[in-house]
This record gives sequence, structure tokens and C-alpha cells, in this order.
Amino acid sequence: MRRGGATSFRWMVAPALVFAAAMIVLPFLYAGWLSLQETMIGMPSRFAGFGNYARLARDAEFWNGLRLTLLLYLLSLGLQLVAGTWLGLLLARADAARGLVRTVLVSPFMLPPVVVGMMAIVILDPGLGVANYLLGQIGVAPRLFLADPDTVILTVALVDTWQWTPFVALIVLGGYLSLPQELFEAAEIDGAGGWRRFWHVTLPLLAPTLVTAAVLRSVDLLRFFDVIYITTSGGPGNASTTLNILAYRRGFEFFEFGYAAAIMVTLSAMVFGTVLAFARLRRSVAW
Amino acid sequence: MRRSFIAAAVAVAALATLSAAAQGFDWRKHDGQTVTLLLNNHPWSQAMKDMTAEFTAKTGIRARIEIFNEEQFRARLTTLMQGRSTEVDGFMTLASREGAVFSRAGWYADLAPMIADKAATAPDFNYEDFGAGLRDASTIGGQVVSLPINQEGPLFYWRRDLFEKCKIAEPRALEDIPAAAAALKACDASQGVWAARGLRGAIPYSMSGFVYNLGGSYATPDGKPGLCQPATVRGIDMYASLLKDYGPPGALNHTFTQVIELLGQGRVAMTHESSNEFANIMRFPGRATDLGVLVLPPGPATGNSNPGVVGGGRASSANSRNKPAAWTFLQWATSPEVQTKLVQAGVAPPRASVFTGPAFNAWAAEQPVRRAWADALIEIGRTGTGIYQSPTDRIPEARDIIGNAVQQVVLGRASARDAACAADAELAKLQ
Repeated sequence: MRRGGATSFRWMVAPALVFAAAMIVLPFLYAGWLSLQETMIGMPSRFAGFGNYARLARDAEFWNGLRLTLLLYLLSLGLQLVAGTWLGLLLARADAARGLVRTVLVSPFMLPPVVVGMMAIVILDPGLGVANYLLGQIGVAPRLFLADPDTVILTVALVDTWQWTPFVALIVLGGYLSLPQELFEAAEIDGAGGWRRFWHVTLPLLAPTLVTAAVLRSVDLLRFFDVIYITTSGGPGNASTTLNILAYRRGFEFFEFGYAAAIMVTLSAMVFGTVLAFARLRRSVAW
Repeated sequence: MRRSFIAAAVAVAALATLSAAAQGFDWRKHDGQTVTLLLNNHPWSQAMKDMTAEFTAKTGIRARIEIFNEEQFRARLTTLMQGRSTEVDGFMTLASREGAVFSRAGWYADLAPMIADKAATAPDFNYEDFGAGLRDASTIGGQVVSLPINQEGPLFYWRRDLFEKCKIAEPRALEDIPAAAAALKACDASQGVWAARGLRGAIPYSMSGFVYNLGGSYATPDGKPGLCQPATVRGIDMYASLLKDYGPPGALNHTFTQVIELLGQGRVAMTHESSNEFANIMRFPGRATDLGVLVLPPGPATGNSNPGVVGGGRASSANSRNKPAAWTFLQWATSPEVQTKLVQAGVAPPRASVFTGPAFNAWAAEQPVRRAWADALIEIGRTGTGIYQSPTDRIPEARDIIGNAVQQVVLGRASARDAACAADAELAKLQ
């Protein structure tokens, strides 16, 4: 009876499974199939096997894109986790206007990426932007920001950090407030000062929360596209042509859909791999 | 008896006339239908959006116009057309850029049969009124893939007042431009001197005049990529050096929007930018009186003047279910009557009758700068070329490679010759 009852309810998950299949599995399978084709507008498609993947391995632009994707990912994630943790813990101690501060903090990541991108263009334009004007007021030489191949990735990472650090901070804040406070009191009684208490008590206890934040930001950062496209279109030169930008250009500007799909399938594999790695890490830091 | 016979004959003749008229063109033949048009953000598109009520009043057809910035426009168009969507009935196209690929993909509806169909086309439409060069550019493989909606090309804009202040003569030759830039910088170090497109894929449009006027070409005589030829290298070097030495900071991320802003705000004294942007530039205070407009000056040694010119086009989708209604919109939008009105929005008319007509001339006569702009457009229509890359069907990719080579020179990472020769190797793979 119990077994039969359990079986009788299984059909209730069917809509969710159908939805997931239609929205996630089928498009992904289609992308996988497309990546095995040599497909260009105006040319008959041809099955190419793993030809597109072999081309990836030989393509200097792909390796450059992979390097930039990873660099941007690591820079942004590191900055956001550090700044988000600091901000979250600061918020936990702030008593005054807590609701107002949280509302203000939410606003950057509520902004559409196109707005953030346009704001970055306006503020950081070396000739027209206000950033260089302000730097000039304090005697700092003007910077090229997004127009300098050596600083463009750092600048994009900082723009993303500005937008998403509050998101990490709110996750950290939620995690911190749910921790058993007696542990902190015990550490204090044992004489653990601020830095030692943070390093040996707070951080280990917050680790699962931080891993969750890292997973959420990783998925976003590895498929980061809009702000880069709006601010630099992948330039100057190829200095910000991450894998997403490269795939977009190959697909929508140069009409090589098969090759673009191969890039995106590769990137998707990286995203899945990262999520799996973080899932494993989360289990190891759970307490 | 005889009287009744005449009456009957008159009645038959009247009926025949009515029948012929019924078979002729009727603007309201597709009353009640809706056409969807996908357009690039352009003065023509904005003007069309403003005038849709007039179109609906005349034809009874509703026009749903979607306007996107260029990148989003291309992405959406590609997605819809690749999926053989019937959602779009017509779209903007640059046949010189994407015509070969789109035509091979079967995305264009052939307009030739509709032009020839007297029941579908207004008697005063007169296709031959469009410039021969523009008609040729929009005919691919014998099919008319689009109708010209404007005529445009890069023009040399310069601040006459700043030149006068610094006692610099109007540039008569291409080499006068770097010399004028140096003189302007020496005269007033706080004044920006030069702006031009530095964004990779956008560079060839504004650079090609430099290449051609110095005697260069993107192709060798046997049809191979020819950036590495000495005269072409000189053109690339001059364009890149102007950007590097006199351009605004961050120029490599600039396309026409930033260039026009810089010129309009008076932050730079010279640029080589699209004729399309004339109306936008004129909106800035002072520019109508202090700006000069010229075709890019010729190379002094070669005497060459081969400015760029392109005609934007409006195509009908091969997948449209409303082709007749879409054609009605297209012929209305390109009619002399509408084009005369579009001049006010800064859209250079592709019809000879409008370009030389009294309304256009009266408009141009109101300000010297308008006359100069119109004369420059007539000149580029006569002598211009729409070829901005080495021979290939993969035009966007080729322009991207050329733009990348120029960026390497601006960044100081390669000499013009090295960058050009390296680009040739890449371009050869596209042939």
C-alpha cells in the first residue's frame, strides 16, 4: 500500500520533468548536435564530427578567450567574496537604519545589465567621463580604463564587483545571523581577538554560506556577457573577448553557428564542472 | 435604335474602363493587414516610425516597426531568419555588407516581379529613378533584393572657425589633414583635434577613403588580399597615426556615436564620419555655422578620390506571409513624396528626382553647410565605392580582421606594414 501510494504520487513530478526537458535538456542537446555540424548561413549543413572542437584546440582566439574568461572570473569572484564578506559582517553590526541600508544595497543588482554598462561607459570614458575628471581633481593622471588592453579586464571586474558585492553581502549577512551566537561569545571568553575570532571561528562557520555565494556568482560570471558587450564589444583588440563574446561574434556576426555552438558547449561544460567542484567543496566545509 | 446602340457602347466602354482601373494599382488593396518591420536604429527608421500614421491613413495597412541598435538588430534578424520565422515581413539590409550571404541563404524576397507587376506597383513608382549604382548594389544574382532607402558615406567634417583662428588653410589634399592636426595641436593644446572610428569592425568604413586616395586597394590585381601593398600600408598608417597621435583617449572603443558626440560638443576639430549623422551634428549649438563638410580630400600624388559610399536598403523577407502588403509599405516608404519629407530628417534621398528636385534644393539653400553636405553626397554618389575589404563573401569577418590590424598599429603593438601583412594572411583564409 505504502509502495503503491508512493508510486501513485510520482506522476506529480512529471510536469516539472517535462518543463526541465523542454527548457534545459532539449536546447542543450540541440546545441550539442549543432556543435557537431559545420553550419553557416547560405551553406548546406555538414556533419563535422568533432571537427569544430579540433578547430577550437588550434584557435588562438579560443585560448585567448578562455584565458580572459578565467581571469575575469577569478578576479571578480575573489573581489566579490572578500568585499561581500566584509560588507556583510559590517551590516550585521549596524543597528542604525538597517532596513534603509539593505534597500540601498539591493539597488545595484536590481539594475539591468544594459543600464550598468551604459553607466560604465558614461563614467569611465577617458575623454567624456566623470571618473577622470574626479581623478584629475586629486592630481591623479587620467586613465584609459576600458580602452586600455592592460586594464580592461580589471575595469570590467570592478564594474561587476560594484554591482554584485551587495548580493554576496546579503547572503553573508543571512548566513551570519543564522549562526549560533554562543560560539562567538565562547571565543571572546577564551580571549580570541577580532582577527583571530574572524579567522578561526567566523570564517569556518561561514564557509558553507560562502560556497553557496560562490556557486551563484560562478554561474553568472562564467556566462558574463552583457556588460562586456555593451562597454567594449570585446576590445580593444581582443583584450576583453571572453568565450561568450567570441561565441556571439562567431555566431551572430560571422554566422558560424556550428563553431559558436562548440564554444558554448565547452563553456557550459566549464560551468557544470565548476558547480560540481563547488558542490563537493560545500560538503567538505559543512559542519 | 441607333441612340440605344450608342448608349450601350458607351456603357460597355465605361464598364471596360472601370474594369481596367480595378485591375490597376490600388493603395488600399491590402486594407486591414499588418506588416512587421525590423529596422536598425537610423534616422530613416525613426522617421518611418513617426510617419506610420500617414501610411496607415493612405493604405489601411498597419505597420508595426521594431527598431534596435545595430548589434541587437543583427542578432534578432539572424535568429528570426535562420529559424524561417514568418514574424518579420521586411527588414533593413546593407547589401554591400551581407547581401551575398543573405541571398545565398534565401532570406530575401525577389522584388523584381513586384516592380514589374502593374497591379502591385504604383504607376509613378519609376524604379529607374534610383541611382544606377544603388540599383546595381541591391541586385544580386539577377534578383532585386532590396530598395535603396538612402545614400550615405563617410565625409570629412572640419571646424572652419578653429582653422581660421589658427590660420590653417582648408585641407585640399589628404596629407593636409595630418599637417592641419599638428598645426591645430600646436595652436591650442587644449583643443581636441581628431576623432574617428576605432572600434574594430567599424574602422574599414571610415578608413577606406585614406587607403584608396593614397593609391591603395584591399585586393591585389589577381584578387588576393592586398593590405600589405605599399600604398595600402600608407593609408592604414595615416588613419592609425591620426587616431594614435591626435585622437581622443579611448578611441579604440569609439564608433559613430562617440565620434559625433565629440564633434558636436566641439571637443574635436576634424573627423571623417558618416553623412547620415549630419542631422544629429546640426542639433548641437553652433555647428550649423562653424562646420565645413567635404568629400575626403584626394591624395596629392595620386589625385585619387575614391570615397566610400553605401546605400542602405529595405528588403522583404522571403518567409513573409504578407509580401504584397510589405511591398506596398516599401514602395510608399521609397516614394518621391515620402523621400522629400525624409530630407528634413537628414536622410539623403537615393532618388535622382528628389535629389535634384526643388524641395531638396530649397532645403539645402537655407544654410551653406547643408549645400556643402548635399554637394559632397552628390560627389560620393558619382565617384564612391562600397568595397571596404578584400575579396570574400565573409565581409563582416574580413572587416573585423582589417579593423584589428589598425588597432594593433594604434596600440603601438605593430607597425602598419607588419599588421597589414599579418592581416593578409588571415584574410586569405576567408577566400
